[in-house]
Amino acid sequence: MNEPVVVNQLAKTFFDEARGEVHAVEGIDFECHAGEIFGLLGANGAGKTTTLRMLSTIIAPTSGSAIIMGHDVAKEGEVVRKSLGFYSASTALYPRLTAKETIEFFARINRYPPEKLAERVDYLITRFGIAAYANARVDKLSTGMKQKVSIARTVAHDPPILIFDEPTVGLDVLNALEMQEVIKEFRAQGKTILFSTHIMSEAEKLCDRIGIIHNGRILACGTLDELRLATGVHYLEDIFVHYVKGRA
Amino acid sequence: MSNGRDIRLLYVRELRSALRERSIVVSSILLPVFLYPLLLWIIYSGFSFVSGQTQGFSSRIALQNFPAEHRLLKAEIEGDTQIELKNSPNAEADIREGRLDLAAEFLPVDSQSPALKDPFRVRITYDSSKDRSSQARDRLTDLLTRYRNFILDSKANDLGISPAEFQQFWVDTRNVATSRQMGRFMLGLMLPIFLVIMLAIGCMHPAIDSTAGEREKSTWETLMTTATPRRNIIIAKYLYVATMASMAAVLNVASMVLSMKSILAPLLSGSGEDYTFTIPLGSVPLILLVTILLGMFVAAGMMIIASFARTYREGQSMVGPFYVATFMPVLFLQSPGIVFTPKLALMPIVNVAMVFREALAGVYHWPLIGLTLASESLCIVLALWLAASILRYEDFLLGSYSGNFVRFVKQRLLGKRATGGGKG
Repeated sequence: MNEPVVVNQLAKTFFDEARGEVHAVEGIDFECHAGEIFGLLGANGAGKTTTLRMLSTIIAPTSGSAIIMGHDVAKEGEVVRKSLGFYSASTALYPRLTAKETIEFFARINRYPPEKLAERVDYLITRFGIAAYANARVDKLSTGMKQKVSIARTVAHDPPILIFDEPTVGLDVLNALEMQEVIKEFRAQGKTILFSTHIMSEAEKLCDRIGIIHNGRILACGTLDELRLATGVHYLEDIFVHYVKGRA
Repeated sequence: MSNGRDIRLLYVRELRSALRERSIVVSSILLPVFLYPLLLWIIYSGFSFVSGQTQGFSSRIALQNFPAEHRLLKAEIEGDTQIELKNSPNAEADIREGRLDLAAEFLPVDSQSPALKDPFRVRITYDSSKDRSSQARDRLTDLLTRYRNFILDSKANDLGISPAEFQQFWVDTRNVATSRQMGRFMLGLMLPIFLVIMLAIGCMHPAIDSTAGEREKSTWETLMTTATPRRNIIIAKYLYVATMASMAAVLNVASMVLSMKSILAPLLSGSGEDYTFTIPLGSVPLILLVTILLGMFVAAGMMIIASFARTYREGQSMVGPFYVATFMPVLFLQSPGIVFTPKLALMPIVNVAMVFREALAGVYHWPLIGLTLASESLCIVLALWLAASILRYEDFLLGSYSGNFVRFVKQRLLGKRATGGGKG
């Protein structure tokens, strides 16, 4: 069976003025099953963002491959991007567009069928409770409101795959919890979700399978139970330390 | 292909955002439309005010050694309500300190056999740095000239010669330029520089906003995840910046012509000059074409430079020198004697200013116009090629490159190093 996300020996090397040649990701392999939440768990600088950026075609891999919905990220960037929604702290909204204009624009540019566009926009506005400020400019909205518009923007074209790069960073507890609920809801809708975090409790609560990434390498990959069985420890924090320290 | 549709979507999005941004609306629309009418109005009002103030003052004049034989002249001076006669033992000091406007010292003429009785010479002392003193000089000089003409006419009459016969020769001047031609000449001197300045101002904010501004607001990465080719994003942004630049320039030209027609022409006609400010209809397509080409060139240049910045402020400081460089060459074209040559037609920006200047006067040197269009188009193509070469670099695209344009060209395009990447 073809998995929606297949990553094979994916690597990324770049040059940094201060550090010289940096191997941000060093030949990682993993797969995501349809309708699951796959979590990339790692400390800051582990290679999570670089991996997700390669999968979302923002940057090109140095070597290896990543196939999203049967399409190579290095060769079929547009088709891949049409199949996924990418959300991160660095994907902000246009401040001078209204919430509704934002959702419409991203649905159109990501090729959502024009005949269904109005219905889709109305659905998202209702689903995320945006109606009260749908015609307000984004720069007038609170952080929580922007977060809702941003999620609606990510799924505006109803992609089968969603990538969330540390989505709860900078959010307060309530907004972070709401974000987790939304991600679960997307899973319930059958979407495949790639989720990166460095917060153990979040990964423990949300992810069906977890990949522990450290220094650009995947150290372990499996369900929480599989990781517990392999390490002999119960808590994810201990599992994480077990692999990272073992590596060190 | 959906490229056209995507570019239109992205372009409309850029425009919509821009028209809601105060700084862009001010610099690209309001400033080009209202700056020059406002400036001309302020100058006109200021001129009228100062002139009115000066006119309202009486001239304080001291007469020294006035020849008693010229009683009629004395009566004329005393009868002038705008002249106030003063005694001044130290006239020059009084003039310098503003207590007196003018001193007229009447001196004898060293002539053995004067043709006319009681000749005299007048030495006028005044301060040209003071409006009121200059006004006093004009008033007294007018009065003296009228008195001299009266004496000469009387003498001619006594000799049985009519005033017309008394003239040895006459000078008639005839200006072959119509008021319209004069107006176009003046427009040709003034408009090119304002066109380039306004185009650059109109271009600057959109160029920075659509590049460094996107990075600063973290919307760049959002845009990069959309299902459209990156070139569509760049083309849409480029078209948007070029549109804003050209729009600013066209609005400015229209505004300048209208304000010169309604403000400057009446002002000049008051001083005896007759100007009609119009643009020849036949020149409009050519003017629009070169304006758009210039807009495209400046937009490409500014976007390339601004895209190295990571914040709006950084973008402003990076684009500043390019902004100055765009209009500096045109400043040297302000001399009316400069002739449009093939060399000038090859110089970007300068060539457009020259075509513009000649088109305003209804002059078309087609070979040079062709050379200008070719040269400007080549510059645009080179700028776009450069932009495409730069955009191949990932770290540049993602804003993690920390150098400027010159450093980038040295390091990457001249072959020192060619890798870049994202952060983990």
